[in-house]
This record gives sequence, structure tokens and C-alpha cells, in this order.
Amino acid sequence: MIQISDLTKIYRMGTVEVRALDGVTLDIAKGEFVGIMGASGSGKTTLLHMLGLLDDPTKGKINIEGTDVLALSDYEKTMFRLYKLGYVFQDYALVPDLTVMENVSLPAMLRKDRSEEQIRKDSDFVLERIGLLDRCDHLPRELSGGQQQRVSIARAIVNKPDILFADEPCANLDTENSRMVLDLFHDINEEMKQTIVMVSHEDWHKEYFHRIVRLKDGKVVSDGTNPSAH
Amino acid sequence: MGKKELRVAFLLALRSLQRGSRSSVILTILIIGMCFTNMIFLPGLFNGIGQSITKQVVDYEIGNVLVSPKSGERYISDMDATLDLINGMPGVERATPHFSKGATLTYRKRVLGATVRAIRPNDEKLISPLYTKMVAGSYLGDADTGEVIIGKPLAGDASVKEKDEFQASLGGVRVGDSITMDYGNGYVKDYRVKGIFYTGWYQSDTAVYVSYTDMALADPRAADNAEYITVKIKPGYSEKFVKDELQQYGVSEKVQTTADLLEKSMGRALQSFAIINMVSLIVGIIITTVVLFIVITIKTINSRRQIGILKAIGVDKEVIMHNYGFQVVIMSVLGILFGLVLTLLMAAYLAAHPIVTPEWSATLYLTPWDLVQNSLILFAASLVAGYVPAYQVSREDIQSAMRA
Repeated sequence: MIQISDLTKIYRMGTVEVRALDGVTLDIAKGEFVGIMGASGSGKTTLLHMLGLLDDPTKGKINIEGTDVLALSDYEKTMFRLYKLGYVFQDYALVPDLTVMENVSLPAMLRKDRSEEQIRKDSDFVLERIGLLDRCDHLPRELSGGQQQRVSIARAIVNKPDILFADEPCANLDTENSRMVLDLFHDINEEMKQTIVMVSHEDWHKEYFHRIVRLKDGKVVSDGTNPSAH
Repeated sequence: MGKKELRVAFLLALRSLQRGSRSSVILTILIIGMCFTNMIFLPGLFNGIGQSITKQVVDYEIGNVLVSPKSGERYISDMDATLDLINGMPGVERATPHFSKGATLTYRKRVLGATVRAIRPNDEKLISPLYTKMVAGSYLGDADTGEVIIGKPLAGDASVKEKDEFQASLGGVRVGDSITMDYGNGYVKDYRVKGIFYTGWYQSDTAVYVSYTDMALADPRAADNAEYITVKIKPGYSEKFVKDELQQYGVSEKVQTTADLLEKSMGRALQSFAIINMVSLIVGIIITTVVLFIVITIKTINSRRQIGILKAIGVDKEVIMHNYGFQVVIMSVLGILFGLVLTLLMAAYLAAHPIVTPEWSATLYLTPWDLVQNSLILFAASLVAGYVPAYQVSREDIQSAMRA
């Protein structure tokens, strides 16, 4: 599903070069729940940004579902993100002026293949799934952190993306809320066969991942299935 | 850019205005409204002054078309023949002669120089609204002799002392009083004041009107001479058309329209008004453009991370740009509507309470086209001011925007 080869990202700060990613090669299969782990500065988020088409690598290739995504134009990348990818951010990143329902519906509203009725149905479904349908008319600031992150997940899955990327989604949550969010990811992966790539530095999160890829200094230092996963 | 994208852009814009900083939105709308008012008020006032002067000139001085003596001649000598010719022309409502002469007026101990205007009162009624402006007594009749009507400022007010008067007067002439007029040619006569009028037009209000019959007694040249002939045109005809007709069909005197005369007498003043109007318009546009540019720039800078997020979840940069564009459109439309209401309220107030000077009284003169034109100019300026920062920020790469 995702083939990454020799992915390298070099940041230049004056005369100093920082290799955030250094020749990462990786394949991710459909339906996998992959955890990308590593210490701070290991390149986890950079890798996720490359996979989510939020940034361009200095070198390397990314192929998603047979598409050489790095060859796409700016507009095509936007459409690829809209139709194929979902993204959950560390700080929820909800639009503060939109209600929960509007936030969730937003990506669906832009799809040309969704009718008004379908958008409403899909949004209701995902909000029901995350247990916040009764809060659909609330603004993000009226929700707790955990609830906001669940809304962010609902927004990411409303378009039924092929791949869901999550960048440290529990970083701002307490353990209880973190577990609720991780359970949600787990359920989505199980029930919808959703491919999920999640970045985390919390060691206890690994119990949720089918496969763990560990990065250090921009390189893959280990990659293997997780027999202790749920 | 499809319908769906525009709908999303509009939704984002609407929600940002509804649920964002209301005080900033209201302030921006107020500023746009005031800029609109500023753009339109001064030109409207100048137009009002121009219209007022034009109307007064038409009503009390020259009508729509003025026929004056040929070059080198002092009077139109074949007055009745010329009047018959003009009155028979298509488009002419009525033509009437005028004959003016200076005189010294004496009332009790007051002595004052003034212009005495001879008119044919009944014909004059078809040309000038003077007969409707009587504040005391009555208007002249064609056969009146020994009677005059005088302007209120010239008649004066008995309760105001001479030293306190804004302009010299006869000190409180009333209807029925007698004033002595010395024409300077040896003809001196006492006249009974038949009526007192007030037009608001200085040149009329400081004059004395007598019938042509009476003037012929004071100056025999008035029997068959006119100093000038004023022509009122029928509705639906243009001044230019009547002027061309008169010239084409044998009126050999000098024929000028109101526009010709005003161009000569007020051309420079009108040019100055036009320059001031242009400056006012440019200043208004600059203020609005700068304010909106700053407002939208601040909004976009504060929302850079959100813009990055929107792009990350698949919202196209065009949608993001139009989101801010729509915000500007909504604020501009509301601002312009507010400005329109403000302007129309001021126009209504000034219509009820005109700015009055001894020379003219002015209201705000606005045509629908002025309002539409200024609205469109301001709207276009607002769009430029809003779209420039929106365009810039929407093109920023996701990483830079999200790091903000």
C-alpha cells in the first residue's frame, strides 16, 4: 500500500545541515496499524509529514496505492490528501469558528462525489461512532481535550480515507483520555480495516500497534510486528 | 473553482465573521461605512451647492435660455417682435423681457442704492417662481404703476439697529409704506410697497421689482427695449435644442443656455470642486484599502497555523483565499450599506435643514448613479485590499504555515 524508498530530508540552517530523515525505506501493508516510535528528534514527525504530503523530501520515493505521490502537482497533492488520506494532529487542529458537525463535515463537503444527504449521513455516523453526536452543535472550545481529539479523528475518517496518519494524538491528553483515543484507533482499525500510521513516543502505546518502526537519528533502527498487540 | 468549493469558502468566511472577533468586524464595517460617507458627502454637498446655484440662476436670473443684445449693442431694440418670434418656437414655454436700472431708494432717513428690475409680471409667472415667494403683501400685476415689490433683506427689519445689520437695508419697510426712488436721470417717484418677497437668491432679494409699464415711465427706452430676454423651455426639451432652434429660425441676438453661462461664470469654481471631490474620493479609497489590508493581513497572520491545517486536511488554497475574499465582500457590503444609510440620513436631514447662506442654500445632491459608482469603487478597492494578503498567505507551504 505504501512503499517508501531511500527517503531523505535534509534541513539547511545557514551552513549547518540537519538530516532529519536519512535513507528510510519502508513498506506498509493495507490494514496495518503501524506505530512509529523513537525519541524526540528521531525524525518520526518528519516521516509522517512526508507520508501525509505535507512536506517534500530532499531525496527518495513515496508510492501510495500505485501513485508516485511526489510527482503530483500542488493541487493534485491537495486532492490526494482529501480523497485518500486522513490526518490527526497532536493539538487537534479543529477550526475554532466551526461547530463539531461543521468541523467533521468540512472535508466531505469538498468532495465532488458526496451529496448533501451523504455528507450528513457520514458525519452523523462518525460522530456517533466517537460518541459525540449529542455535541454536534458545540464549538471546539466547549469540549474537553479528549473530546476535541475524538472530533479530530472523526474529521480524519469521515471521507473513509485509505490511510489515517496520526501525529502524537495523545500528547496533550491524560492517560484516561489517551486510552480512549487509542481504543478508538484500535476499533477503527479492527472494524473498518483502516490502515493507520501513528507517531508516538509513549512506550505504553505500543500495545496498540501491530507493527512498530523505531527511528533514531532519521534512520530505521528496528521494524517488526508486535506480538503483544491487542 | 466549483460550486462546492465556493460554498465551503463562504461557510468558513461566514463562521469566522459570526464567531470570530465581533468588535473587529463591527469596527471594520463602521470604518468602511464612514469611508463611503466621506467619499460621497463632500462631492454631494458641492453638487448640492452647484444645483442650488443653477436652480436659483434659472429661476430668478436667466431662465433656461438667455437672449441678450448683439455684440456692441446695449438693448434688444425690436423687443416685441423678438418675443413673438421666440414664443412661437417649439419647446418654448414662455419668453419675457427684463430691463434693469440703478436707483437710489429713500425710506424715512435711510438712503440706499439698489437695482430696479422691470418685468412683465404675468409672463414672469410662467418663468420664475418669484410670485410664490411673497412673505408679505402681494405680487405685481401687469398694469400696476406706482407700486413695487422688494426683497426682504432690502426691506430690512425695524427691530435691528442700523449698526447691527449684516447688510445695509431700508430699516424695516412694510407693505403699504412709500419709498422714494431716484433713477439718477432726473426721474424721481414715490412708490407704494405692494409686497415683500424672499427667494434666498441674493441678487433677487436685494432688488426692487417694478412693472415694465412703470419702468417705461422712468426710462422711455424700456417701452420697446429689453436688456435681455429670459426663456423658459417646456418639459422634455433640452436647452441646447431650444438654443439651436432660436438661432436657426432668425433670432439674431446672442443666445446662450444656462450651461453656457454657468460654464463661463463658474467654470473655475466647478473645476475646483471637481479637484476637491477627486481628492476626497482618493483619500476615502486609500483609507478603506489600507484598513481592510491591515485587518485581513492580521487575520491571516493570526490564522496561519489554521490555514496550514486546512491545507493539510485537503482544503485547496483557492478555497482558503476565497474564504478571506468572502469575508471582505461581506464586510464591504455591510459597510457600504451602513454608509448608504448614514448618507441618506444626512441627505434627509439637510433636505429638511439646508445649509443657508445669503448667496445660496444647499442640500446634499446625490444621484443613484453617484451612490452606485461610489459603492462599486469602494467594493473593488475592498476586494483588492482583502485578496492581496489572502493570496499571499494561501500560497505559503503547509510546513511554514503550520509552524507559525
